[in-house]
Amino acid sequence: MSNRMAAFGGPGKKKLEWRRFRYPESLVSYAGWLIAFTVVVFSIEYLNIPLDRILGMLGRMGDILADRYYPPDIEYIMDMDYFGYVVETIQMAYLGALFGLIITIPIAWFASFNMTPSRRFVYPVARLFGMSCRAVHETIWAILFVSILGFGMLPGVLALTLFSAGFAAKLFAEEIERIDMGPVEAMRSTGANLFQIMLFGVWPQVRVAFTGIAIYTWDVAFRAATVVGFFGAGGMGWYLKRNVLQIETERVAAIILSIIVLVIISEALSAWARRAVMKMK
Amino acid sequence: MAVLKVTDLHARYSAKGPEILKGISFEVEENDFFAIIGPSGAGKSTLIRCINRLVEPTSGSIVFDGQEVTTLRRVELRRLRRDIGMIFQEFNLVNRMSVMDNVLSGRLGYTSNLRTLFRAFPREDIDHALSLLDRVGLIDHVDKRADQLSGGQRQRVGIARALMQDPKLMLLDEPTSALDPKISREVMELIKEMAQELKVPCLCNIHDVKLATECCNKIIGLQDGVTMFSGLTGDMNEEKLGEIYAMEVL
Repeated sequence: MSNRMAAFGGPGKKKLEWRRFRYPESLVSYAGWLIAFTVVVFSIEYLNIPLDRILGMLGRMGDILADRYYPPDIEYIMDMDYFGYVVETIQMAYLGALFGLIITIPIAWFASFNMTPSRRFVYPVARLFGMSCRAVHETIWAILFVSILGFGMLPGVLALTLFSAGFAAKLFAEEIERIDMGPVEAMRSTGANLFQIMLFGVWPQVRVAFTGIAIYTWDVAFRAATVVGFFGAGGMGWYLKRNVLQIETERVAAIILSIIVLVIISEALSAWARRAVMKMK
Repeated sequence: MAVLKVTDLHARYSAKGPEILKGISFEVEENDFFAIIGPSGAGKSTLIRCINRLVEPTSGSIVFDGQEVTTLRRVELRRLRRDIGMIFQEFNLVNRMSVMDNVLSGRLGYTSNLRTLFRAFPREDIDHALSLLDRVGLIDHVDKRADQLSGGQRQRVGIARALMQDPKLMLLDEPTSALDPKISREVMELIKEMAQELKVPCLCNIHDVKLATECCNKIIGLQDGVTMFSGLTGDMNEEKLGEIYAMEVL
């Protein structure tokens, strides 16, 4: 026994022990890893995925792309007509995100566990609403609204509204749940009602984060907007679908290229705007 | 007549949880500066929060200004809370809001939702806020954000906010624990002066026994939810203190 150990644990004292392996926690964790690995192996077996052909596929994909999709028909997307559809897509994303954010603010309030008016009733209903919006993919919302309202921008805007609401509701509610409850307690003690507490105690604390999330929501809604047109809900997706069906591969390549460029631009813009907002603290 | 009369108060946070307060009784009279002392975990904060029902007591009676508090419905409770100002250990200001708005938030109980939405407080509230800020020495910081102030200054904002309510009673929850000894004394003296000027009785949780004996005229000593001492400050002595803190280093 070294000196520093002898200083505390003299003879006759109970030996102190520590092990990294805990029973049964460590065993459960090992078993979890084993099960996950087994499931992956079985799935590959069951689905009959030929691993050797996946590698070969990459080469063939390059050939097809070079053969059919190159060169992209840039002239086709430089057309004013197409530009109109791009503008329509941006409008749809803007309106969808805006409406979604407006309905999200009360939903997020009701769905935040610390500030909800009623934990038994309002909270689960608001949570369920947010989850339902997220559970259905934006393209499925688009199909649904197109089948009800017909082709055009309106079903696209509605699909994006629900998509944005589902997306932002969760982030907003989490932001409200993260606030410092001290000021809330102080305002309760002055006799303020819940609405006043939200305005004076909560809103100043979440305002900046909400602005960041709103910008992010717009960015995500724009990406979703490029695809809802595929199902007839307006915007450039409709152009994409037409050319895919006509096997105009070089035009499809140009459209995909334009989507990539636009999404990158919108992402860069949103990242820049969010950084600017965060600087305000 | 007693402003506040607490009788046999019991409190626990959950049905299975431990009982935090085990039958506390005391009376606060006009012009009292009433201290609650005791070690950490004795139930001081719970007791003070039961008075305005930020914590729901399980049984017992609290009579404030001739009204039974424990049975009030939600709207009546909000009305009652307007008459009780509260000052907190961690100040509980909204950091991202101006000093002025933090002080004005003390008037929310008197303000309509519409006025709250547009932050359109009546002129007399704004004048009142300015005179209070002048009195606590923050007239040059009115438009600063609360997080730009020092600890002592923040607690002064807290004092102004509580007095904005024109309270009939002040609850002070360890108002000086987050401050250094010198600032603590200044803040405590300011509270005492203003309470005397405005004739507001105070009920104060306090850790610092020396400060308590200097500022308060009555003391109740809690230990583990039970009253160990109750009486005038002059009757307090080392022996009784030792009992309350049960050999804890003072």
